[in-house]
Amino acid sequence: MSEKLITEEKRVFMTGNEVVAWAAVAAGAEIMYGYPITPQNEIMHYWTRLAPKYNRKFLQTEDELSAGFTTVGGVMAGRKAFTATAGPGNTLMQEPMSMAEAMRLPTVTIVQQRGGPSTATVIYSQQEVTMTTFGGNGEGLRIVYSTANHQELFDYTIKAFNVAWKYRFPTFVLGDGYQAKMRESLTVYDPEQKGIEFVPAEPYVGKPGTPGVDREPGHYRNTYNVEEELYEVLQGYFKDYAKMAEEVAEYQAFDTEDADVVVLSHGVVSRGAKEAVEQLRKEGKKVGYFRPITLRPLPEKELKELAGKAKKFLIVESAQGQFAKLIKDVIYGASVEIVPFFKPGVGITTDEIVGKVNEIL
Amino acid sequence: MAEVTKIMLAGEGGQGVQSVAQILAEAADNEGREALYIPNFGVEQRGGVSIAFLQISDERIGAPKFDIGDIVVALSDRAIYRTKQYVGENTIFVYDTSIDIPKEDLPQNAAKILAIPALEIAKNELHPRVFNVIILGAVVAATKVVTAEDAKKAIEKKLGYKFEQNPKLRELNYKAIDKGMELV
Repeated sequence: MSEKLITEEKRVFMTGNEVVAWAAVAAGAEIMYGYPITPQNEIMHYWTRLAPKYNRKFLQTEDELSAGFTTVGGVMAGRKAFTATAGPGNTLMQEPMSMAEAMRLPTVTIVQQRGGPSTATVIYSQQEVTMTTFGGNGEGLRIVYSTANHQELFDYTIKAFNVAWKYRFPTFVLGDGYQAKMRESLTVYDPEQKGIEFVPAEPYVGKPGTPGVDREPGHYRNTYNVEEELYEVLQGYFKDYAKMAEEVAEYQAFDTEDADVVVLSHGVVSRGAKEAVEQLRKEGKKVGYFRPITLRPLPEKELKELAGKAKKFLIVESAQGQFAKLIKDVIYGASVEIVPFFKPGVGITTDEIVGKVNEIL
Repeated sequence: MAEVTKIMLAGEGGQGVQSVAQILAEAADNEGREALYIPNFGVEQRGGVSIAFLQISDERIGAPKFDIGDIVVALSDRAIYRTKQYVGENTIFVYDTSIDIPKEDLPQNAAKILAIPALEIAKNELHPRVFNVIILGAVVAATKVVTAEDAKKAIEKKLGYKFEQNPKLRELNYKAIDKGMELV
């Protein structure tokens, strides 16, 4: 039994689901809880192939509610635990993830978005943005990375475990069916060799000593009797969230300085957006590119600044404005005109984005 | 921006278009080039038109799907109707001669239309199982995105374990590639 899956940096060519399984092993994830749903099934398949070789564990549950709650339990026991889901599975997952928000549990969830509402398609969409950022009966106290390629799937799956355990907010890697199923190259590596330090996990329950005598008692609550008490706890959470946001929010941008139109996108759609902006710039057109990597928290300062400079925001997404809603909320009051380009549940090509920009430039 | 070769393969489920796309993608990757392959999959396991989008370039590839292919290969009548929308004025359109379809139903705007007797050759000269490998050879010859040598290496990587048990299979597959290349 070899100790490490990846002993040296190397280029590989595989599907996104396989990338996630590799990254989870590399990140030191100890257990996956899951229930099958397309297009994320192969994450489980690859994990179950790798897990026995590297002394990791797997539990298949009876549904996604259970997969979520067992992930919560694994984390409370002090294990780096994760789950993966999609579509209607993500819907069920909101109940346990809401509990993770309430108890500040560093769960990691990989979401491979498929068409919605309901069963819809098993193929692709960006229609799980609202649910993944603000799902459940809570306040969106989560961290959500929206990846665009296999390298990022690898990098951010590793990062998700560290960020979750550092800040103690449930963390999500938001992929999609395209990223899940497509094959492309990436470089895999051992995070520790790259100088990435693993944030250690620790148990929430079952700690040694007597509570109140040897150590502080652990109060991990999702129930309150008094309105004011809940209110007060949440104020603390919001403060922590705001502090975390400054350190965690990430984005990519180029050619925005003098841009009349800035193309805003996230996830896999940003690949086409990037190509489109590069192409249009070569033709001398004043077009810029902005892409939040974190959808929760958003890079608010940069978005506000940009909204004060650009004439138009072209918001491109494979959903009917779920991403746009997040952006609009941040830039409220700015003079920038918002032009939507929404294709719910459908992929968006480079040519389509070029065409749309030319139409509004 | 680097040249990107956009390849679309479409056929009935089970005809092996996804394998062809995957072998081509891995051949390109082995050459150190960038490849992006995405299957268009539905809920059905078999039946229905199966489409593979494949892009090969020297640089990182953008959006996973595209509007117009440089080469579009359709291996059934349904696949022809389904892929017409991906044919543009620079597209080489390839279909199998065994498909019975009125001339006017073929894409009219293609740069070139190639009818190749892959199925016939597979049945009569080689083996029906290597039908898709003949197609692979034709795509290699038509696009030159990878060398025949590298395509063979990629097949070896995918099917090597079968070749070990039956070396004749290797010969059959290599012959099929060569045949396919001659057809273009």
